[in-house]
Amino acid sequence: MKKWLMTILLSLVVFSLAACSDDSDSTSGDSGEEDSTSENSGNEEETSSDSGETVALDFWIFGSTGYQELVDEYMEENPNVEITINEGEMNDMHNNLFTSISAGSGAPDIAQIEISQVEKFLEASDQFYNLNDYGANDVSGNFLDWKWAQAQNVDGSFQIGLPTDIGPTTMFYRTDVMEEAGLPTDREELAAEIDTWDAYYEAAKTVKAETGKFIADTPKLVFNALRDQQEQQYFNKDNELIIEETVKEAYDYTTKMIQEGLVGQNELWTPEWGTAMAEGTYATLPGAPGWMVANVKGNAPDASGLWDIASIPEGAGNWGGSFLTIPAESEYPQEAFDFISWLTAPEQQLRSFEIAGLFPSTPDVYENEEFLATTDEYFSGAPTAQIFAEAAQAVETVHMGVNYAVVDTELSTALTNVAVDGADPQDEWDAAVERINSQLERQ
Amino acid sequence: MAQTETTLTTKKKSSLSEKTKEAISAYIYISPFFILFGIFGLFPILFSFYLGFQKWNGLGEMEYVGLQNFEWILTDQIFWTSLSNTLIMWVLGTIPQLIIGIILAYALNSALIKMKSLFRVAIFMPYVTSTVAVAIVFGIMFNNQDFGLFNVILGWLGFDPVSWGTSWWGVKIAISTMVFWRWVGYNTIIYLAGLQAIPNELYEAAQIDGATIRQKIQYITIPMLRPIIILTVFTSTIGALQLFTEPLIYIGRSFREEGITVVLYLYREAFTNLSFGPASAAAIILFIIIIIISSINVFIANRIGR
Repeated sequence: MKKWLMTILLSLVVFSLAACSDDSDSTSGDSGEEDSTSENSGNEEETSSDSGETVALDFWIFGSTGYQELVDEYMEENPNVEITINEGEMNDMHNNLFTSISAGSGAPDIAQIEISQVEKFLEASDQFYNLNDYGANDVSGNFLDWKWAQAQNVDGSFQIGLPTDIGPTTMFYRTDVMEEAGLPTDREELAAEIDTWDAYYEAAKTVKAETGKFIADTPKLVFNALRDQQEQQYFNKDNELIIEETVKEAYDYTTKMIQEGLVGQNELWTPEWGTAMAEGTYATLPGAPGWMVANVKGNAPDASGLWDIASIPEGAGNWGGSFLTIPAESEYPQEAFDFISWLTAPEQQLRSFEIAGLFPSTPDVYENEEFLATTDEYFSGAPTAQIFAEAAQAVETVHMGVNYAVVDTELSTALTNVAVDGADPQDEWDAAVERINSQLERQ
Repeated sequence: MAQTETTLTTKKKSSLSEKTKEAISAYIYISPFFILFGIFGLFPILFSFYLGFQKWNGLGEMEYVGLQNFEWILTDQIFWTSLSNTLIMWVLGTIPQLIIGIILAYALNSALIKMKSLFRVAIFMPYVTSTVAVAIVFGIMFNNQDFGLFNVILGWLGFDPVSWGTSWWGVKIAISTMVFWRWVGYNTIIYLAGLQAIPNELYEAAQIDGATIRQKIQYITIPMLRPIIILTVFTSTIGALQLFTEPLIYIGRSFREEGITVVLYLYREAFTNLSFGPASAAAIILFIIIIIISSINVFIANRIGR
C-alpha cells in the first residue's frame, strides 16, 4: 500500500520537475503552430549525422515571417529532419533566447535575431556556432555586403548568423487622403513632389489645411525615417554616444511637425495605431520597410487599393531585418546550417517575399525579371519589388551599438512627451540624454 | 514476566521503525514543494544576493564591484520615483479595494439579495481573468486621445480629456484601477467567508439589546473580521509592492517615469539594459523595504488587537 503510494509520489515529483524544465523550452505560450508530434521524434536520436535517423530542430522566430510554409516544404524534401517552429513576440523571443543562453540550457537549434540585437549576442560569440566552420564563407557572396558584415565580429573570422530579410525604407501612403488634399496620387508624381523633407513639411501643411488629417500619425515613424538615413546613428565605432551630432536634427524636425499639429500622437504597435491604419486618418507611413507590408495588411484588411508605395524623400535607409543563428547548445549544427542556408538562399528569400513581404538580402534577386515584375494589388498595383530593390541599393552599413535599444527607448519617450503633453522639445531632449547616460554608465 | 518484557521490546522496535517510515513518507509528501522552492525560489534569491555585488551583463565574466551597484541605485532619481510610484499605487489600489470589498461582502451576505451564488461568481470572475488581457483592455479604455472610453465619459461630465498614459496621476489612476478591478472580488470572497464565520447569536443578542445596523457593524462585524482584515492587508501590501504586469503592459517598454514601479525598474535594468548587478541590488533593496513595511504592518495589527 505504502509502496505504490511512494511510487506515485516520486513519479509526481519527477513529473513536475520535468514539466517545469519543459516550460522553459518554449518561447511563448501562444504559438499555435507547435507540432506536438516532434516531441517524440527525438527519442532515438543519435549525435552523428547522416545516419538516417530523425533530426529534431527547434526554430525560434518572431514577427510575420510566413516561414511555416517553407519549413513544411523543407521537411517534405528532407524526411529525416523535423523542424518545430516556435513563434513569439520580438522582445519576448530575444529575452527568452538571452535567458536560456545565459542559463546554459533551453536554447533552440536555430534562433532568429533582429538586427538591433545582433551585437548584443555577438558579444557572447562562444555561445553560438561559428557559421564559417560550416561553410558560411561559401555563401557569403549571395548576400549584400553591409548586411553580411553586421553579423560578423570585427576581423570577420566569426559569423554568427545568415542574413534573412532587410528593411529598405520607402513611404507608404493613402491615395484617398492624397486625393482629398489635392496632392498627386500617382507614386512617381508624388515622389517627385515630395522629394525633400522640406517638401514633406509643405505637403503636411497642405494635407492639414485641406483634409484636417495628419501627414503621419506616429512621431516615432517620422523620426525613424530620418534617423535611418544617417550613416551613423546613436553610437560611433568606438561605442561613444553621438546622438547630439547625428539624430538631433531628426528630433528637431519631428518635434517641429508635432508642435505645428502636423503629426499625430499614436505610438507604434498600439491598438490605436492599428486602427488608424484601417481608418485612414493620416496620409503617409514614412520610413516603412518591406516587412511593414504584412503589418498594414493585417491591421487594415479592408483598405485594399487605398494604399500605395512611393520612394522616401532624400534616399532610403534600413529598418529592421534579421539573421538566423545556431546557438552552441544545438546537437545538430550541420543539419541546422544546411536548413538555414537553404532558407536564406535567393530562391527561398524570394518565396518569403511573396508570402510575407520579407525583402530579400540577396542582390541577385534584384535583377530577376520575375521578381521585379511583382506587383501588389493591395498597394494599388505598385511594383513593390522594384521600389524596395531601388531603396535597398542605397542602404549603407550602420554601426548600431550594443545599447541601441536604451537610446531608442528614451528618445521615443521624449517624442511622446512632446506629442502628448506638449512638453518643451529641448527640455525633453536634455532629460532623455541624462537618462541615457545614467543607464549607459552601468553597462 | 520475561515473556512480557520481550513482547514489550519487540513492540517498541516495530513502533520505532513504523515511526521512521512515517517520517520518510511525510518528507516525501512535502518534498515537491521544497524541491521546487529550492530550485525556483531559494537558489534565485541567494544568487541575486550574490549578483548584487557583481558587475555582469548576463553572458560575460562577472566582476566584483563591492557596493558600487547599491550606490548607483540609491543615487538614481528614477529608482526613488519608482518607489514613490509603487507606494502611491499601493494606496490608490489597495485601500478602496479593501473598503469596497467589505461593503460588497456585507451586501452579499445579507438576506436581502437574491441569486447570491450568481453574484458571488460574478464578483470573483475578474480574479480568474488573465492579467495581460485585463491590462490590454483597460489600456484601450484609458486611451490618451479624445475617443478613449474614459475620456468620452469625462467629456459627457463636462471635463477635459486626460492623457492617461503620460500624465503623472493619469498613469497611476489607470494602473490602480486595473489592480482594483482584478483584486476586489478576491478580497470580497475572503471577507464573505469571514462574515459567515461570525456566529449569528451575536447579532441576535445585539438585536435584543436594540442595536442599530451601524452599531452591529462597528461592534460585531469589524472586530470579528479583524484577523481576516489583517490577512488581506498583508497580502495586498506585498502584492502591491511587487506590481509588475499591469504597468509593463500599460506603459509598454517605454518604462515611463510616471508609471515605473520598483519591479519594473529592476526588470528594465536586468533585461533591457543587461545590468544584472544594479538590478539585483535594486531587488535586495526592495526586499529590505518589504521587510520594513511588513514589520510595521505586524506592529500596527498587534496594537489594534489590544
